[in-house]
Amino acid sequence: MAQMSPWLRSARLPMLGAMLPAIALIAALVYFTAWAVTYSFTNLELTGFNSINWKWIGFDNYIRLFTRNGFLGSLWVTVVFTFFSALVGQSVFGFALAASMRRIQGWGRTTVEVTIMLGWLLPDIVAAFLWQATTSTNGFLNTLIVEPLGFPAYNFLASNALAVVIIANIWKGTAWSYLLFSAALDSISREILEAARVDGATGLQRIWLVTLPIIRPHIATNMLFITIWTFTYFPLIYALTGGGPGSATEVLSIFMYHQSFGVGKLGYGAAISVAMVIIVGALSIFYLRQLKEPK
Amino acid sequence: MESYSRATPLTAIALAFVAVIWVSPFAWLLTTAVDPKTRGILEIPHAIGIDNFVRALSGTAGIQFVNSVWLSVGTATLTVLVAAAAAYPLSRLNLPGKNLLLWSLVLLRLLPAAGIIVPLYFTALGLHVLNTVGVMLALTVLNLPFALLLLKNFFDTVPIELEEAAYVEGASLWQIVTQIVAPLSRSGIAVVWFFAFTNAWNEFLLPLIFARTANTFPMSVGLFAAFGDHGAVDYGFLAAYSLVYAAPAVAVYFLLRRNLNTGFAGVGVKG
Repeated sequence: MAQMSPWLRSARLPMLGAMLPAIALIAALVYFTAWAVTYSFTNLELTGFNSINWKWIGFDNYIRLFTRNGFLGSLWVTVVFTFFSALVGQSVFGFALAASMRRIQGWGRTTVEVTIMLGWLLPDIVAAFLWQATTSTNGFLNTLIVEPLGFPAYNFLASNALAVVIIANIWKGTAWSYLLFSAALDSISREILEAARVDGATGLQRIWLVTLPIIRPHIATNMLFITIWTFTYFPLIYALTGGGPGSATEVLSIFMYHQSFGVGKLGYGAAISVAMVIIVGALSIFYLRQLKEPK
Repeated sequence: MESYSRATPLTAIALAFVAVIWVSPFAWLLTTAVDPKTRGILEIPHAIGIDNFVRALSGTAGIQFVNSVWLSVGTATLTVLVAAAAAYPLSRLNLPGKNLLLWSLVLLRLLPAAGIIVPLYFTALGLHVLNTVGVMLALTVLNLPFALLLLKNFFDTVPIELEEAAYVEGASLWQIVTQIVAPLSRSGIAVVWFFAFTNAWNEFLLPLIFARTANTFPMSVGLFAAFGDHGAVDYGFLAAYSLVYAAPAVAVYFLLRRNLNTGFAGVGVKG
């Protein structure tokens, strides 16, 4: 920490002044957060009588989360989406890819890396358009594979929307886990793995008993980030299915958007966001403890 | 190393398979975009032409491109200016609890942005900025915690001795900041600028709520509105539009690749 040099003493006031815009915007961010929490205890609506003459209704919105249809179903869709696309898909697949790519160098590696990076770099809405075009009845999945095999064209988005959304998100998001696990695997010394091999450990044992415990902090870090992102993810799913058909892909962020700006129940929408924050917060604490725990 | 080489052919086949699955949507996008007579299926283009790209950059689509550039450049510049002005004093001055403050801000920001959409909407409505400027301000607010933390850590690595020497030589604060600190921090500032640029370029939810007419949409909402129109789907136009929209986001990454990889290594080390 720098002691107060004459230079800093002379510059102190203008420097503090330069911080003011940032302080104002940060104050706004904190204020908005507090405001969102406050909303959740009112019956505020987007239009009509309750948009002006709103009143406090205590915990009614929160009780509604559990007594009305919608929230619990949407929570379940979100859990399924997060579990399969983030944990099983991006994490496990990203790890498998990183582990197998270690043996491959040169253009093969570059090709695979650039390819999965492209998915990650693509704007969400472009990814949504691509997957809609891929899976539509005249998309290339049908014209190239399903129809040549003699089956009638299959409308994937009508019948298996959640699966399509999950696969699209794996396709889009694996690069992050892949890069993180690649860096983690690079940090393991070859001697340790070689020693385990000499001691007669099989490939699976080496991964399970040597590699995974060493990179445990990286796994927890990865889980933390992708769970937060996936649990609250909106654009790709919304642009691909709009939450449908019915409410088959209505994850919590879309449910909140529909309740707030479709139905116009802003108070209820705010309660949904608060519930999302609480769930994500609890999951984060869980992962952070995994991160700390020595083993 | 024998066990490694034995596994290789099978692994190579699996990886090739993965690469094909990953790349085929892109192949479709490319062949569709360059084919003026496309039928929207994956095939060798009938002809190669730029008709689709011309349509994707003219009329409303062209305006939306300009909107996106304005929104992203504006957000990135505003974020860097506000964040740098605060991060530099945070790095230099001995303010109590500044690290705790920064980290709690970043934690606050990890929470879903969707949660504060409603207050943002009302504030923008009240300030009459339910437009691109409103999105710009909102994104700056949302970007600020990360930008502050990144820039503060970056300024910490710039040695203070140079500034002290300049001060002794009689340089003013403004001269020191613009002629010593700024040039030394170029790469850090660039990373934050492009980070905010990409964020704004990809942003969908805020303009979806803030922008009302096709002429004010950025490309994210423009593309969504175009393929949301369930009429005859104009695949050639949409594919070209997608490529135009995706190109800057991809280009920025490859420009900054080395810096970003260092960032990833940092994530790994901190664990």
